Amino acid sequence: MSSIKISNLRKVYGSTPAVDGFSLDVPSASVFGLLGPNGAGKTTTFKCMLGLARPSSGEILYDGKPLVPESFQRIAYVPERNVLYEWMTVDEHVEMNRRAFKAFEPARARELLSQFGVDPRKRASALSKGMRTAVMVACAFARNAEILVLDEPTSGLDPVNQRHVLSLIINEAAKGNSVIFSSHQIGQVERAAERIAVMDRGKAILSGVVDDLKADRKIVEGIFPDVNYSLDGIANDPRVARVDRTERILRLLVTAGADEIAARLSGLGATGIRVLDLNLEDIFLYAVSPKDATADIVTKEQSS
Amino acid sequence: MPAVLTVDPRSGVPIYLQIIEQVKRSIALGVLRGGEQLPTVKQLAIDLTVNPNTVARAYRELEREAVIETATGRGSFVRTDEIDASPRVALEIGRDALELALREAKAVGLGRDEVREIFTTALERWFSELPKGDSP
Repeated sequence: MSSIKISNLRKVYGSTPAVDGFSLDVPSASVFGLLGPNGAGKTTTFKCMLGLARPSSGEILYDGKPLVPESFQRIAYVPERNVLYEWMTVDEHVEMNRRAFKAFEPARARELLSQFGVDPRKRASALSKGMRTAVMVACAFARNAEILVLDEPTSGLDPVNQRHVLSLIINEAAKGNSVIFSSHQIGQVERAAERIAVMDRGKAILSGVVDDLKADRKIVEGIFPDVNYSLDGIANDPRVARVDRTERILRLLVTAGADEIAARLSGLGATGIRVLDLNLEDIFLYAVSPKDATADIVTKEQSS
Repeated sequence: MPAVLTVDPRSGVPIYLQIIEQVKRSIALGVLRGGEQLPTVKQLAIDLTVNPNTVARAYRELEREAVIETATGRGSFVRTDEIDASPRVALEIGRDALELALREAKAVGLGRDEVREIFTTALERWFSELPKGDSP
């Protein structure tokens, strides 16, 4: 059962699509990480999910149903931009949440604020960027929500508090709730998320289970005896996503079958063959920059 | 269970495989003994700060490989039935490590005789206390 299902979402501002046919599926009791460069469409997607922006087309379902006013009792949202009222104290924000949301636990919010080191008597205007994030996060996690939508929930926080937010996210998943969050800190997504999608220019350019992506995506590297070596069709193998030739060194980004492709390179006379693991940051960077401008590279399209 | 598990989420090795590898290693080393209870999925996820489904996947795989068993409502335990898992797991870890080393030796262009010489020397160094001709 998917907790959140987005199908073919499109949001056009003027003539520019901010989100351009984006789909995702967040199973219940799971954590989904949304990655992408600035301007990829992550925040617009979140806004559409919360009804803060009207989709141009497409569908967003929670447990199979569209967003209705009552849904907001079940969904907690941490926006990317600070939405605190400058003249109100932190305590007053807690009180405001208590009035708005039935399941909100003020004591839990205060406990979290104290863990983040936020003085609840301070006005929002006196808080640093990180402390503002902490207030929004504390209020969201005190909501007892079944679905949490978190847009950059660690923004401005120090490493200790960033780790604390990750623990909170993991704890929600362990309780059976669903979390979707975005972060520029890929290492955080790598820890906390089971599944990810990489967005670029409004589209999902890569998605899957983090551990499966790591298990399948490898760099296969080999060294050939001289510069003019034949690839014998390897570049056209659908599992080869990218071909980098730097003089006698061939590096292939493969999406599956690394060992088999390594054996083929060996058959073509390559030596020093290595199969290299990729972490999520590598996988992300390869996904968003299919061509590397600095190296002597032949991309798949050009070499085939 | 002693806190022996650590994972490096920034590594290219899937986290669930890291957990599997470390549980096996702990068993091979006798840190985890037959019948001993593993932390719950939730507890290990929180301790390691990793996704609970990832931990659950590792446990499922360990169960499938008959390394651990899960009793509903009681938790997961290192298996004790018919055979102690530890010699089998130790053999598996040793074999994987040697396979990797041989593959690397081949990749850098060493020949069979060179590898055999290195292997014999290393064997003498690390296993000198064992009688020669010790059959496997």
